[in-house]
Amino acid sequence: MAKSRADIEADVRDVLVDALGVDEDDVVPTATLKGDLGAESIDYLDIVFRLEKKFSTPEKPFKIAQGELFPENLMTDPSLVEAGKVTAKGIALLKERVPHVDVSEFEKDPQVTKLPTYFTVKSLCDFVQRKLGA
Amino acid sequence: MHFTLVDRFLELTDTSAVAVKNVTAAEEYLQDHFPGFPVLPGVFMVESLTQAARAVLARRGLPRMVLGEVKALRYGSFVRPGETLKVEVSLEKSREDGAYVFKAQGTVLRGLAADSSQGETAVSGRLILRPLRTEP
Amino acid sequence: MRWMWIDRVTVFEPRKRLVAVKSVSLAEEHLHQHFAAERTADGTTLPPRPVMPSSLILEGMAQTAGILVGSVHDFREKVVLAKVVSATVERDILPGETLRYDATLERMDEMGASTVGIVDRFSFVDHAWAPVGRIELMFSHLDQNRAGVAFPEENFVFGENFRTILEGAGLRRAGV
Repeated sequence: MAKSRADIEADVRDVLVDALGVDEDDVVPTATLKGDLGAESIDYLDIVFRLEKKFSTPEKPFKIAQGELFPENLMTDPSLVEAGKVTAKGIALLKERVPHVDVSEFEKDPQVTKLPTYFTVKSLCDFVQRKLGA
Repeated sequence: MHFTLVDRFLELTDTSAVAVKNVTAAEEYLQDHFPGFPVLPGVFMVESLTQAARAVLARRGLPRMVLGEVKALRYGSFVRPGETLKVEVSLEKSREDGAYVFKAQGTVLRGLAADSSQGETAVSGRLILRPLRTEP
Repeated sequence: MRWMWIDRVTVFEPRKRLVAVKSVSLAEEHLHQHFAAERTADGTTLPPRPVMPSSLILEGMAQTAGILVGSVHDFREKVVLAKVVSATVERDILPGETLRYDATLERMDEMGASTVGIVDRFSFVDHAWAPVGRIELMFSHLDQNRAGVAFPEENFVFGENFRTILEGAGLRRAGV
């Protein structure tokens, strides 16, 4: 039976509360992982491991590949970033590989250091929903 | 070594504390952690934060409170001999079971001329202190 | 004080589980300060009360789990503690007691590893093991990019002082 959006949101909230030590009330859809919830790079790994555990079933394992969830991990190729800004090639890659991250605002001023601010709790829920439905 | 991981309190109330721990090559355990690359062990950052939190609780008439739980504690920059760990703890809440929850953070201070309010984060998370429990 | 917070490995299942013990003794200096006799604010005197600091119990688990993680790549990688996900220490440990750290490798990839461990303690007084707590840790692989620091070539994380422990457990470091 497919998970409802509400169930996904509740599970994602549990994961973030455990991984980041934040209160349930802080985990709102618009909260950014890095800015509002204080996530750091080791936390991203913790979140990936926990999501895999939370959403895997014996019939359908939930495995997250490198660069599939967090956009920063995609920006390792030098051709994707020029003078601190993500290139057109980089933007196209983001749209293709991490569609759960809304880059429509980011595109206007694509400073790579600002990229994490577009990753919200909603981005995480969208990712899980899409992947579970696949 | 002497098991005191706080050298000087800059602020101490019954709800929060700011203190410093100097790291010096004179601390012998550094020879093992690590050979050729001495850095303050992460658990000694936890101990420093715990000792600061203990002092806050002592102000409330609760001496010898010990570390009972740690939650979401992340490590960042290293602290090396000649550098200083500035620890800050603030009491978030007291629990029904007699434990106290602290928000805790340590930053690295390097360079004597540096502004002591600046610094990279060495450690941050939550510590929960409780009374001693040695009964079986 | 030597920076060695486990004494002996008792179980090793490669890539899965490692169990180590640590004996707690009054011969350890820090126990005489944790806690020494003290005078409280209201004038009462508290007698000395030697108990193992929880931070050092945490280190015992970190060393146990760290060896388990490091062994997967024959100790070629510098494995360091990156996060204490959660830790509970429900009882305090007295001199004469023995701690047991039972660590399991949960997940590992190129970025790092996560481990779960159970701590319990043995006492000659009641001749029994009793639960102490549960510790979840995350380790990352140190590399040259970490804060722009240059590291010495050799793997200083699993240095000489670990050699006796590793040899006793039938583990060897790469290149040794």
